[in-house]
Amino acid sequence: MKRSVLAVVLTVVMAASVFSGCTPKQGSTSSESAGGAGAVQETETAAFNPDEEDGIEIGELRSALGAVPKLEGSVKLGAVAKAFENEYWRTLKEGYGVFQDKLQANGYDVTIDVSSAQGEGDEQGQLSIVKDMINKKYNGLLLSPISDGNLVPGVDDAKKAGIPVVNVNDGLIANSDVFVGPKAIQNGELAAEWISEKLGGTGQVAIVIGMPKAFAARQRTAGFEQYMAANATGIEIVAKQNADWDRSKAKDLADTWIKQYPDLKAIFCNNDTMALGVVEAVKSSGKDILVVGVDGIGEAYDSIRRGELDATIDSFPLYKSQIAGEVTLRLMGGQEIPRVIWTPQALIDATNVEKPAEEIIGWEEPVFEN
Amino acid sequence: MKSIWKKFSRELGIIVALVILIAVFGILEPLYLTPTNLMDIVDQSVINGLLAVGITMVIITGGIDLTVGSTMAVVIVCIGNLLVGGLNPVAAILLGVLLGFVLGGLNGFLIAKMHLQPFIATLGMMSVYRGIAYLVTGGWPVLSIPQNFRTAMDGDVAGVFPSSVVILLLATSVGYVILKHTKFGTYLYAMGNNEEATRLSGVNVDFNKIIAYALCGVSTALAGMVLLAKLGTGEPTAGQGYELNAIAAAAVGGTSLAGGKGSMLGTFFGAILLQALKVGLVVLGVDTFWQYIATGVIIIVAVYLDIVQEKIKSWKFERKFAR
Repeated sequence: MKRSVLAVVLTVVMAASVFSGCTPKQGSTSSESAGGAGAVQETETAAFNPDEEDGIEIGELRSALGAVPKLEGSVKLGAVAKAFENEYWRTLKEGYGVFQDKLQANGYDVTIDVSSAQGEGDEQGQLSIVKDMINKKYNGLLLSPISDGNLVPGVDDAKKAGIPVVNVNDGLIANSDVFVGPKAIQNGELAAEWISEKLGGTGQVAIVIGMPKAFAARQRTAGFEQYMAANATGIEIVAKQNADWDRSKAKDLADTWIKQYPDLKAIFCNNDTMALGVVEAVKSSGKDILVVGVDGIGEAYDSIRRGELDATIDSFPLYKSQIAGEVTLRLMGGQEIPRVIWTPQALIDATNVEKPAEEIIGWEEPVFEN
Repeated sequence: MKSIWKKFSRELGIIVALVILIAVFGILEPLYLTPTNLMDIVDQSVINGLLAVGITMVIITGGIDLTVGSTMAVVIVCIGNLLVGGLNPVAAILLGVLLGFVLGGLNGFLIAKMHLQPFIATLGMMSVYRGIAYLVTGGWPVLSIPQNFRTAMDGDVAGVFPSSVVILLLATSVGYVILKHTKFGTYLYAMGNNEEATRLSGVNVDFNKIIAYALCGVSTALAGMVLLAKLGTGEPTAGQGYELNAIAAAAVGGTSLAGGKGSMLGTFFGAILLQALKVGLVVLGVDTFWQYIATGVIIIVAVYLDIVQEKIKSWKFERKFAR
């Protein structure tokens, strides 16, 4: 009897996970369901779309507002990332640490505590961390939500408690005070521009997508497709499939495509992990197919140096978190901050892979008060 | 001829389903039937097929193993590190198999000796093993796996098919022999049908159970090492959600999640069927959202075919005796 109950439970779990892409995740967000089938093709239709705001870059903000204000008393900032399993979030965390050290070296009494959820499926856990920080009376929050909706209740609480909330890419919080991140749609556009240039404007290309929970990931594909439709009509997108952000699944997809489309010239992948899987497929086929990823992880840089991966779009999380920290202090110091602050992103290929990031993005240190 | 027919009648449902599926995709897109594409399907089934070999044994005992994805990741990062450190590939493979045996055996110990329910025990260990995989590398991937190991686990055999396919065929054959032609195999079915009766008839149930989970760990370790060879990079995030694909392959192949019923060949064809479906949907360019629905429907249809087949059998049986 017990056994048959177990069998039923298992079957349900199995079927459910097959439908949800084999990662049991719950709590789909309002914007995700609003996007529906068109979400990966069209621009986001959610209420808050940072790509459509008149954002400004950090350089502009600095020249308008001057030095980073020194706040009274000791300031405790809480940053919550998605999941440290992912290199992107570890690097973002490192950036918060770098910024904290710079502040302390300049006599600012600021600490930044960084934590993350337990995996990118842990939406409730991430909310608990935020609520805990509110209870512990942190002075400011820098949040990168797993989905577009999971932190909304926490942000409401923070607002009631008078704690400013800065939304750090990616993941969107409609009711945050400021959004700090790159222009998401530009990400796919940069990849499309580079590929169409390399191919001379004609040829077959394919896209490996990851099932997107967050806005930024959805915009990658949208930006790529829109650029091609508007600027490179000779480029034909022959295939577009999901590989669940999984390296092995992406490799399998590419294996199939390379045989199905003998004239395939380029493959754009929604992240570097999948791109590196595709690189393995391209290598074993012996064909000359361009592979472009997104994120700029260390392994992608290594692969570009070896001449395997062709390009990646780096959004420089190490600097993104420093900008986010700076914006938070300015906000808390009473400065007028626009709704959206753009952070730098750039395409990395063999020509600039050895160039220091500071040089690529023209990084300058913020001015501190004495 | 008739005896062969009878011998494999259990796998008939899944084979019919597979042939129909391939025929339908072949009609819709002739390119699907090219030898290279069909070979690709088999090649891409290897990981799931290997996981399913072990999970089939465990499910037959009436248990389940949710740790396979995480166990894979532990093997991948540990063996990956050793290989990069210069360990001989043969030694690494043996060590990997041993590691899988130990990790799987630990699951078996929790279930047999500490009387935890298999679902809960392996749910817990799934998280523990995943954590270990992250700790071993600090979350970073192990890069640049040596080419000799990659050739051993995923190189061309006689220029025709990858060695990973040979590994799957070997593992399936061994699993087949264990289930059909050893006392141990008989015990597994007996335990799945009625554990108490098996115990009372003098079988060391606990020991055999631990060995079943340990063997599941071994086939999982093989899957992990094949994945490591295929990708050339060992990621601690590897294998997330793979346990459910493996369970699906076993179920589609006629293994009952209630225990006591299942076959290695069925599982093998189940894994191939799932990948044939996946590749077919890709070749046809079916929208991702629809792929989820198609996959779920095919799983349900395939399992239902199995039930219908059983019904026909028992109906024939009854008629025979009614006369």
